[in-house]
Amino acid sequence: MVLSMSIACSIFMLLAYTGIQSSPAAAESPAFIRIVHASPDVGTVDVFMDGMKLLSSFQYASVTNYLPLPAGSHNMKIALIGKGVNASVITQTFPVSIGKAYTIAALGMQSTKNLSVKVFEDDNTVAGNTSKVRVYHLSPGAGSVDTAESMHTVIHGISYSQASDYILVPAGSHVFDMTISPANVAIPVSTALKPWTVTSLFAIGLLNSSPALKFVTAQAPGVPGLPQTGSSPIAESSQPWTFLAIALCLLLTVAGSIYRRERSA
Amino acid sequence: MLLLRHLSNKEERMGSSFQSAGVCLLGCLFLLPLLIGNGAGTPPTSAETTSMQKPATLPSMQRTTPLEAEVKAEIPLRLMIPSIQVDAPIETVTTTAEGNLATPIQHPWDDAGWYSPGTLPGQMGSAVIDGHLNRPGGAPAVFWNLKQLRIGDAVLVFTSTGITHHFHITRVAAYQPQDAPMEEIFGNTNGRYLNLITCAGVWVASQGQTTQRLIVFATFDS
Repeated sequence: MVLSMSIACSIFMLLAYTGIQSSPAAAESPAFIRIVHASPDVGTVDVFMDGMKLLSSFQYASVTNYLPLPAGSHNMKIALIGKGVNASVITQTFPVSIGKAYTIAALGMQSTKNLSVKVFEDDNTVAGNTSKVRVYHLSPGAGSVDTAESMHTVIHGISYSQASDYILVPAGSHVFDMTISPANVAIPVSTALKPWTVTSLFAIGLLNSSPALKFVTAQAPGVPGLPQTGSSPIAESSQPWTFLAIALCLLLTVAGSIYRRERSA
Repeated sequence: MLLLRHLSNKEERMGSSFQSAGVCLLGCLFLLPLLIGNGAGTPPTSAETTSMQKPATLPSMQRTTPLEAEVKAEIPLRLMIPSIQVDAPIETVTTTAEGNLATPIQHPWDDAGWYSPGTLPGQMGSAVIDGHLNRPGGAPAVFWNLKQLRIGDAVLVFTSTGITHHFHITRVAAYQPQDAPMEEIFGNTNGRYLNLITCAGVWVASQGQTTQRLIVFATFDS
């Protein structure tokens, strides 16, 4: 009886110290998408997701915030404002994953019948008191884009419908010189980079006609890593007595049990 | 014969005594950290009792002068979760050298930590507050009972400007760190959210962390 009680007590204590606990099942989390309208000759549009209107009167050269969207495959349609989902000029199906962030860009020219949607997977993790920058080249026919600061190229040769890798930049005011090749056209972009944020520079428009090429900036909160909020359930060197006490307890319990068993035999 | 029987009984009692002593000590060892610790699973200290009785007065108590209060920006000062008896000061935290959300420094086991580069509780976006699950040795820390929370439970944040923000819990979920919905936890700007984080799962000594993180998602009420 006493032995079983002691064993039960020991197990209870070990469970408490090892922190074993029931964990609620992970519930479904959404993905997050933001939409960029970068089709120069398509006016203001309505955006439909899986047949339902997601955005009304979405203007050219606009960028939404990140919007939650259930993980899975989705069908997006873009139609001129007020025309309805059945008059869509762009239709695209794409998958999104739980917890991930995406940029969905409406690209191309209606006049050349090459409208499309491009899906970029984003990474908004920011490791510390800094800022991340990424360039998205969404300007049809504009060649490649170099990004420089203080005469130093920091992002090389991004082609149309491509996004750069992320670069880490100290927080503060910056002027990026965007050079379009081979035309060798330079466009300065001034931006204030807040710490712990991710800044996107979207090249939108047309290099040699209207609407003119410009850089649209969007800033999103940076995401840190998860904290370490647990501690060792076993006392460390600051409490060496705990190890000794546990050992003494177990020794006493086992010794008593053996002694009783030998005596009764 | 009587003497032998007496000795035998005495020896048996000695064996029982050893066991009893072991059991008692085991019990004490288990209970001691709980008694020493003033986490959510223990009776509150006198300071906690006072604060729990008068939560609404605490933010104003922290102000030294009206002038000083006026020049300070709003920050969250105290977290209260009545259903699990959490009533904890809030420290301002940023990130560690590794880029992870930092934890409270002044009172690591009793305070909660608000991620100050992120959203203020009550504003549009995802405010995040973390807290330790346990202390070294296993005794409960401030968020020990977070796993007991249920959908609909209230969470209150008292701010430096005397405002109390009310939230209710919408989801409680545990994730492997690599599978956690980070964008939802930190980056959802489509509403006013408060997300609480602590550890869950099993301690892995070789990694110096537990296997999971418990995320409590809450939505702003008023």
